[in-house]
Amino acid sequence: MKTLDACKLLDMHRGDAIVVCTMGAMNALDKLPVNPLAMACVPLMGGAASIGLGLALARPERKVFVFDGDASLLMELGGLVSIAHAKPKNFFHFVFNNSIQFAGLGNLDTPGARRADMAAMASACGFDSSQRITNLEDLEARLPSVLNGPAPSFVELVVEYDNPSLGIENPAVEMTDERFSRMGDEIRRIRRHLGCDAEIRS
Amino acid sequence: MSAPEKESPMKQFSKYSVPAQAMIDAFKRCGIEYVTTVPDMVQIALHQILDGGESGLRVVHCTTEDQAIEVAGGLYAGGKKVAVIVQNQGLYAGINSLRALGLDSKVPLFFVIGQFGREFSNLGSDPRDSKRRVVFLLEPLLETLGVPSWRLEGPDDLPNIEAAWQASRDRSGPTALIVGHFVGW
Repeated sequence: MKTLDACKLLDMHRGDAIVVCTMGAMNALDKLPVNPLAMACVPLMGGAASIGLGLALARPERKVFVFDGDASLLMELGGLVSIAHAKPKNFFHFVFNNSIQFAGLGNLDTPGARRADMAAMASACGFDSSQRITNLEDLEARLPSVLNGPAPSFVELVVEYDNPSLGIENPAVEMTDERFSRMGDEIRRIRRHLGCDAEIRS
Repeated sequence: MSAPEKESPMKQFSKYSVPAQAMIDAFKRCGIEYVTTVPDMVQIALHQILDGGESGLRVVHCTTEDQAIEVAGGLYAGGKKVAVIVQNQGLYAGINSLRALGLDSKVPLFFVIGQFGREFSNLGSDPRDSKRRVVFLLEPLLETLGVPSWRLEGPDDLPNIEAAWQASRDRSGPTALIVGHFVGW
């Protein structure tokens, strides 16, 4: 399953959900039309699920989708317990598991790659629903029941990865200034879209 | 006849304590609706009231301080007013999330940080003169990060709660209230 194809499918089903994305799923969503209710957790590896938890608690009338990565989930694995403890009934955690860090750049194995059972961990932490999906057809078939089923809900998506682009011929990549202002800008965009008080001055 | 109960020698330090209910009343005057936290030992009295569920504030318990900061960021994105209650060690553990959400993203995070480990001989003195690194590093570190802080060293400092809160709104960034001694029961 390609990350972009999975993101297209999830985007089609999001309705008025708020989306918090990070890592490879963020890059894929950047290729789709802009969603004013989406924000990127960047550069803050590991933080997407907890930001999504805060949004889910603040806005119980809407679904919140978190598009996480496998290595970023592992960075704050205890967050699964925090989420299950808070019991947000509108929280849907999609983890794009390619078992690779810096996918498409350097392709380093994630600790626990292809061994750690993330769906089982979410279940053990107390998520109301947890499953692992390995292909797009299965995701398409199961997505309606996932979104209408119990939550907090965890879905591990097994996805492919691109070949590494960094090397002798392409030795470095510079982070843009936008990379560091983006998260705050998108938080403020969500607040505007939700009609929150404009507390942050430009 | 039973022997009279001996008074705890710890009571002599109570003048440095701010009652938990007074802190909650100040939080409410600020409009705070949520607390995200990894509990702090010197603020146990405050945590007990918050966990009792009658304060009117909703508590989100997190397993690490970076999560507490991130959940606060999400709550803010959703329009809520939040206090992040941690201890000094927790602030040290959560610096990258503070950097990303508070500083780079300009989210007005309000931290309430307990001075875990402060020796009682330092009470009434400058916490920067504490012999303990976990204590004396806190204020200089916050300064390095560009996070303004206010001390809560006793009941006279209660107005600092609202001052620190308001500053986080005014500067669109993080501020810290530093709780110097055990919160009062």
